[in-house]
Amino acid sequence: MIEVGQQAILIGWLLAAYSIVMAITGGWLRRRDFVASAENGALAVWAAVTVASASMLYALVTRDFRIEYVAAYSSSTLPINYTITALWGGQKGSLLFWALILTTISAVVVLQNRHRHRELMPWVVAVLMTISLFFLSLVFFITPPFETLAVPAREGRDLNPLLQNYWMQIHPPSLYLGFVGMSVPFAFAIAALVTGKLDSTWIRTTRRWTLFAWFFLSLGNLFGALWAYEVLGWGGYWAWDPVENAAFMPWLTGTAFLHSVMIQEKKNMLKIWNMVLIITTFALTIFGTFLTRSGVISSVHSFTQSGLGPFFLWFLAFILVVSIGLLVLRLPMLRSENELDSLLSRESTFLFNNLILVGIAFAVFWGTMFPVISEAVRGVKITVGPPFFNKVNAPLGLMLLFLMGVGPVIAWRRASWAHLKKTFAFPVSSGLIAGAACFIGGIRNYWAIVSFSLVAFVLATITVEFYRGARARQAMVGDSFLRAITQLVAKNRRRYGGYIIHVGIVMIFVAITGTSVFRIEKQITLNQGETFEIGGYDVRYVGLEERDTLHIAYLMAVMEVFDGGNLVETLRPEKRFYKKPEQPTTEVAIRSTLGSDLYLVLGSYDAETRMATILAYLNPLIGFLYWGGLVLTLGTFVVIWPAPAAAPAAAYSPARGEAESRS
Amino acid sequence: MKRNYKFGLGAVLLVSSIGYLMYSGVEQSSAYYFTIDEFLPRREEVVGQGIRLAGRVAPGTLSKNTSAKGTELKFQVGEFSDEEGVLGSTETVGVEYLGVVPDMFAEGRDVIIEGTYTGGVVQAKSIMTSCPSKYEPEVEGKQAAAY
Repeated sequence: MIEVGQQAILIGWLLAAYSIVMAITGGWLRRRDFVASAENGALAVWAAVTVASASMLYALVTRDFRIEYVAAYSSSTLPINYTITALWGGQKGSLLFWALILTTISAVVVLQNRHRHRELMPWVVAVLMTISLFFLSLVFFITPPFETLAVPAREGRDLNPLLQNYWMQIHPPSLYLGFVGMSVPFAFAIAALVTGKLDSTWIRTTRRWTLFAWFFLSLGNLFGALWAYEVLGWGGYWAWDPVENAAFMPWLTGTAFLHSVMIQEKKNMLKIWNMVLIITTFALTIFGTFLTRSGVISSVHSFTQSGLGPFFLWFLAFILVVSIGLLVLRLPMLRSENELDSLLSRESTFLFNNLILVGIAFAVFWGTMFPVISEAVRGVKITVGPPFFNKVNAPLGLMLLFLMGVGPVIAWRRASWAHLKKTFAFPVSSGLIAGAACFIGGIRNYWAIVSFSLVAFVLATITVEFYRGARARQAMVGDSFLRAITQLVAKNRRRYGGYIIHVGIVMIFVAITGTSVFRIEKQITLNQGETFEIGGYDVRYVGLEERDTLHIAYLMAVMEVFDGGNLVETLRPEKRFYKKPEQPTTEVAIRSTLGSDLYLVLGSYDAETRMATILAYLNPLIGFLYWGGLVLTLGTFVVIWPAPAAAPAAAYSPARGEAESRS
Repeated sequence: MKRNYKFGLGAVLLVSSIGYLMYSGVEQSSAYYFTIDEFLPRREEVVGQGIRLAGRVAPGTLSKNTSAKGTELKFQVGEFSDEEGVLGSTETVGVEYLGVVPDMFAEGRDVIIEGTYTGGVVQAKSIMTSCPSKYEPEVEGKQAAAY
């Protein structure tokens, strides 16, 4: 299988190179047969990379310790599910896996579009295959995954215990799908620039792909946060670590893109801006990969230094030169057909939403790169910590939340005073009431009050939208209210699905507010039988428990949790000692309720006196992070689900804005 | 055009407030980042200021003391070297820390220490451990050297 895998990678590499040449000559000379050959080439690349990945999977599952990668990232006692996920547990495997996703997506794009966008396709294929060729080059020349050991290992060194967690099984694939998915709109954008077909075709064709990529990027970020929360044991879920930022930046610009393309579709504005956004987003995915794999910025949980950095940097430079060159060349053709009419309009709200998202992305970039920048300018490395990111992003995030309430419902072109009053009277009063309720309820934190008021404001606008839509439908069709709502969503998936996604995001805002403002943190050393209090709970340290298995030795602190004098749960935060490689890890214990999480960590213990140091956190409202993610998923499915063939027109919500702006 | 001007004003306002937030954010939360060799010659300049030190825990210098307040650590950190568990140079700086010890912390491991230099020793607020290099097999390192 080693031979098969190696050969498959080589064949894939050659085929990708062939596809690029054929696609470009075919596009240049307008030779349909050349392009068709390039498209078949892209499909063959997918087949080759699939064979290579399958061989690696086979080697992992059959525990073929002749292969260096298998010996380094698995062992004969590693459970089968983690053996499979070891495919992306290390540098080499994850690059192969990346290539697999990329070529799979490319193949799907070819099958989907080869008969539809004949003019664009040669260049789309050329771009996708160039990216594939880059990754396959890394896999083939720099980090060959099938490299064998001089002497076959008798036993593997096993997967890093920190990665033996279910979030880690799904976090990297989601992130990769998100990163790689952004190549599709990028490829179409470049094709549009090359061919000069600069209408909204490229945007409409890739709308689902963009959403697909955005969705997995969102999930990837969320899964990463949940992994950090449950595994790293510091009580939080987001630390503004370079690796987290690397995935967050393309999400921000991707979100901006997702919104601004609507303006181009509806108003033919922002054409240049959209090009800039998708180029930036794609470049940030490559930059993110560079950050996590080059060791340029020291990070607690990244791949350690490897020789890959320069390759990514050169590729990034190549992408930027080509795309910006093309963009400049086509600038005269990208002029807007419309102008901004008023500050109080949907167009302008979307623009501000874009500015803020890009502003946040820039601030995150600046903070992440600050050590490099300061070293270049002042000769000293200066780092900025989480306070920098929080300080900058908290007000920007709240502005964004505000616009999330305004943007979808304010009139196009120009909002009249009457329209504003009619649309926002209820939401604004809801927001004010929520703020007052927070104040009366005893909340004195200014940030929290503003945030919760805005949350109420946004939810109210969305509720009104659903309510009005359903009422109108009821009046027209005469359905029951519930049926009217489902029909409303089914007939305008894009719009109402979008609202559902917004609800998910609002819930995530609630979680962020709750955990950052109301978090309680305690560190306490206890003797057996002692009790401490945290956020209304009384927690009693009963004693230590031990357990030993083949793979892991466990040491647990038995903690009884009392709520109002009643024992509600017994938590066991543990220390684990993995035997291979020898490494201790800390496993947190969490009691989740609707309102908050009680999060216990066994910090350290004394084997003789049985004293234990416990870190205890109370994280209010953190559950909304999960639920928000679920709602976001639901909303995405509503939008992305193929509309029934009969009603494609309804999917593009009718020009209701115009109707309203006349009122 | 007049309306565009209004929007432009809004955009300028927004951009400058982002700029201001970033500027003041940097002022408040920046810390010097040094490796030990960079730190030692200029340590007197940064007394009392926030620093982040990247280095390796010097073998044979670690003392631990668990009390009711938590675990107290005293150790020396030195410069990295390519060889696992070995210091890159002889000079080291002392670190004192009270709190919870990270899982991966041990002599010879690479750490990032956040804290302040008080003249003499570094009072650590937090200790971060980077993954031990065997997490990423040594082959990688050899390759990195080859390119």
